[in-house]
Amino acid sequence: MKSKPINPSETEPSSTGALIRLVADLLESGDYGQRVLEVDAESVRVLEMNGALSATIPIADIHNARNEPVVGGGRLEVTTKKGEKLALISYTHTIAARFSEAARGIEQLAKGEELLINLKPQRTHCEKCKRLLPEVDGICPACVDRGKTLLRIARFMLPYKYWAIALAALAFLTTVLNLVPPILQGRLIDEVLQRHTNYPLLYQLIGVWVGIALTSSLINITRDRIVAKLAGSIAADLRATVYRAIEFLQLTYFDKKQVGAISSRVTTDTDRVWGFLVEGVPYFLLNGLMLVGVSAFLFWTNWFLALCILAPIPVIITIAVRFWKPMTQMFYKVGQKWARFYIHLNESLNGIRVVKAFAKEDSEFHKFTKRNVELQEAGVKADSRWFTIFGAMLFFSSLGTIICWLVGGAMVVRKELTLGEFYRIHAYLALIYGPIQWFAAVNNWFSRAMAGADRIFEIIDMEKEAYRLDDGVQHDIKGEVHFEDVRFGYDKSNPVLKDINFVAKPGEMIGLVGKSGAGKSTTINLIARFYEPDSGSIKIDGLDYREIELQHLRRQIGIVLQEPFLFNGTVAENIAYGKADATMEEIVEAARAANAHNFIMMKPDGYDQMVGERGAKLSGGERQRVSIARAILHDPRILILDEATSSVDVETEKQIQEAIGRLVAGRTTFAIAHRLSTLRNADRLIVLDRGKIVEVGTHEELMEKKGVFSKLVETQSEIQEIIGFDLGQAEAAK
Amino acid sequence: MITPTSDNIKLFHEPKDVLRMTVGDQYSVVQIEPRWAAPLSHPGQLLGLMNSKGEEVLLVPAVDSLSQENQEVIQRELDRRYLTSTVHKIVSAKVEFGATYWTVITERGQRDFVVQSLQENAQWLGERQLVFVDIDHNRFEVPDIDKLDPQSRKFIDSIL
Ligand SMILES: Nc1ncnc2c1ncn2[C@@H]1O[C@H](COP(=O)(O)OP(=O)(O)OP(=O)(O)O)[C@@H](O)[C@H]1O
Ligand SMILES: [Mg+2]
Repeated sequence: MKSKPINPSETEPSSTGALIRLVADLLESGDYGQRVLEVDAESVRVLEMNGALSATIPIADIHNARNEPVVGGGRLEVTTKKGEKLALISYTHTIAARFSEAARGIEQLAKGEELLINLKPQRTHCEKCKRLLPEVDGICPACVDRGKTLLRIARFMLPYKYWAIALAALAFLTTVLNLVPPILQGRLIDEVLQRHTNYPLLYQLIGVWVGIALTSSLINITRDRIVAKLAGSIAADLRATVYRAIEFLQLTYFDKKQVGAISSRVTTDTDRVWGFLVEGVPYFLLNGLMLVGVSAFLFWTNWFLALCILAPIPVIITIAVRFWKPMTQMFYKVGQKWARFYIHLNESLNGIRVVKAFAKEDSEFHKFTKRNVELQEAGVKADSRWFTIFGAMLFFSSLGTIICWLVGGAMVVRKELTLGEFYRIHAYLALIYGPIQWFAAVNNWFSRAMAGADRIFEIIDMEKEAYRLDDGVQHDIKGEVHFEDVRFGYDKSNPVLKDINFVAKPGEMIGLVGKSGAGKSTTINLIARFYEPDSGSIKIDGLDYREIELQHLRRQIGIVLQEPFLFNGTVAENIAYGKADATMEEIVEAARAANAHNFIMMKPDGYDQMVGERGAKLSGGERQRVSIARAILHDPRILILDEATSSVDVETEKQIQEAIGRLVAGRTTFAIAHRLSTLRNADRLIVLDRGKIVEVGTHEELMEKKGVFSKLVETQSEIQEIIGFDLGQAEAAK
Repeated sequence: MITPTSDNIKLFHEPKDVLRMTVGDQYSVVQIEPRWAAPLSHPGQLLGLMNSKGEEVLLVPAVDSLSQENQEVIQRELDRRYLTSTVHKIVSAKVEFGATYWTVITERGQRDFVVQSLQENAQWLGERQLVFVDIDHNRFEVPDIDKLDPQSRKFIDSIL
């Protein structure tokens, strides 16, 4: 997101020619209501909706301005040059990010700088239906075209279109064949049974009947085999598409969602969609054809009788339509309960060690039971309701049969209808009411499938990481990393990093130090472009790193994370993760360099040892060394070490230190460590405090300066003296 | 230096938007931020008074143990720092397209909001207490669903 000068006409309409004009959603009393913040070159003003001026501060008096995050929202705080702090206006989270930008703008004006902020107008309501949008600037789900969604899912059928056409053709044939036996039966009754003679016709008709039964069965088998093929293929395609889309989502998405909820989109949601596509759509055709075909036949036989026996159908349709909405709501609720159930199940199984360690089996079971019962209750309620409605529809269907006997029977008595014709109509009745019931049920099936499709497309349409595969440049990194006025917050209204400026020269080792929560990991997250700066830029070799193709960039960056993650596989596979074509020799060499070789050799299966899910079968220090080996083999130009030695003993730390020493040579390295001694090899240290750089320099310079860093070192060596070891702090300080 | 307690402190705004605290007329902490330790499960209890470095100066066990003046001052500050809303009545609630749309009346007035993925963003605290987190992370608390009118309860029942 590039900052750009704002154009007042882009913000809310303004008559005063203000540079910034924002409407807050809370009154001074704390009630919901609107107030306006107006900023021009002279002053900052707060206006009530009736035009009354509540506060005004001359820009010239302002020292700084910021969004003070409070629970549920924020407030704009201005500090005057006299040091007086003033709270100007409060607002909810909905617009906090915009006020945070406005605060920046006020500061820029106060410093006499050019106004460079990004205040795009936000769309919170749908323009068409005025509904609230489920996502700011997002799409309105009510106004997206259902037909379009249907077309989009249908597109997954495209690669199998010939199969689909074959399926439709077979469905048509089945319909036609289903119409024949009642005709045969009718003729049998009229021309054989009632006349008590005519064996040849009996055999003839039975012969045709057998032929039709055989053909029908063959067609059904073929059809079901095609369905199986289509189901498998389309399900696989859908899962692959969704998984691929999820892979490229920005990390901010994963911060917000639970992993269980994401994986259910790959499984449950895709299941619903392919189920409907493959089993729903063909039957839709089949039953639709059946309805039309059979009705036509009925009317052709006897229009009056047809009219009578079809009379209950409108009632059935009315019931289906009337109860459709409440039913979907109830099934939605069941879905909710399932999700809660799964989340708890996943969590307690993942945390089974903790559960056992605290002997919490009983209370976990209690929780489980609660979820289980909730699920049961919601399920029973929804199903009972469903079966009630279904039963009512069944009654009206059977009414059709009764009417048939009443009206048709009378007609047979009056000889207006032969017995054979009556029988045929009676047989067709079942062929009509079957599909009608199916259509009543499909409604709910359809809406579930559409909800699944919506959730799938939500992911597919979501903003992806800016891979810019087409226009990103390929750049072989030399290693200069330049932070220029970088500002970043996980939540835009609350920056975690502010005004970060530094240049790391190629091959330099930079140590990042600071208290917990200072923003060290955040800084390296930005370097790896897991997140992008909200403003300012990061340049690599003088090139804005957003210009470089993302995967190309990341291939040249190696990371050893604070909590190394290993995949369930062998040690060798994990080391070779970043370089699939690595030879065994290279892997061993990398492991040696990471001081991991010896412990690997002691495993029964050596490099073929399985590490378990998340690498759980290795110790913390072993995992860390495997992940260092992985980084070494990856051979990155920029190396990032976040607490690479946090969970090991002093001896192992020394080994890892050596490994790192070998690894950093010739690469730009960013290392984070709480044991400051770990960083004594660093060329320069950057000291962060609450998101700002407070000191930069070599170890010696910073010790001499007697600032924040030397204080950190002092407290740490004191603590280390107390616990009885000193990690060469003394030499380092010399 | 004496330690602050609920009895020996005096809270006031000076200047008008900054909360200050003097301890037994001996010394003064110039910037105080009140934080509830457990605003949902233990409302009115366990109020932390934090200094500008984010360190706790005093944990007040119950707000009503403070003097009347202190209570008034602290309430004013709390009103500014807790912009959460308490739901008094649900005017409408409907599930559409996987999101739930709510219109509620809170102590701050009427408000519409949307909650997505209800299983994460409707958080139960115990059996009867419920917090909705809308798409912008605004919070709407229902302290006790049994205290809502039947119509509002029906909305919750039909969805959750
Ligand atoms: N994914 C996230 N979403 C929201 N906030 C986050 C996220 N990650 C970190 N934070 C917050 O950002 C701030 C800086 O975190 P960061 O991880 O950069 O700290 P750090 O300096 O690495 O600390 P430590 O030494 O404990 O690892 C913290 O206040 C933290 O709570
Ligand atoms: Mg960290």
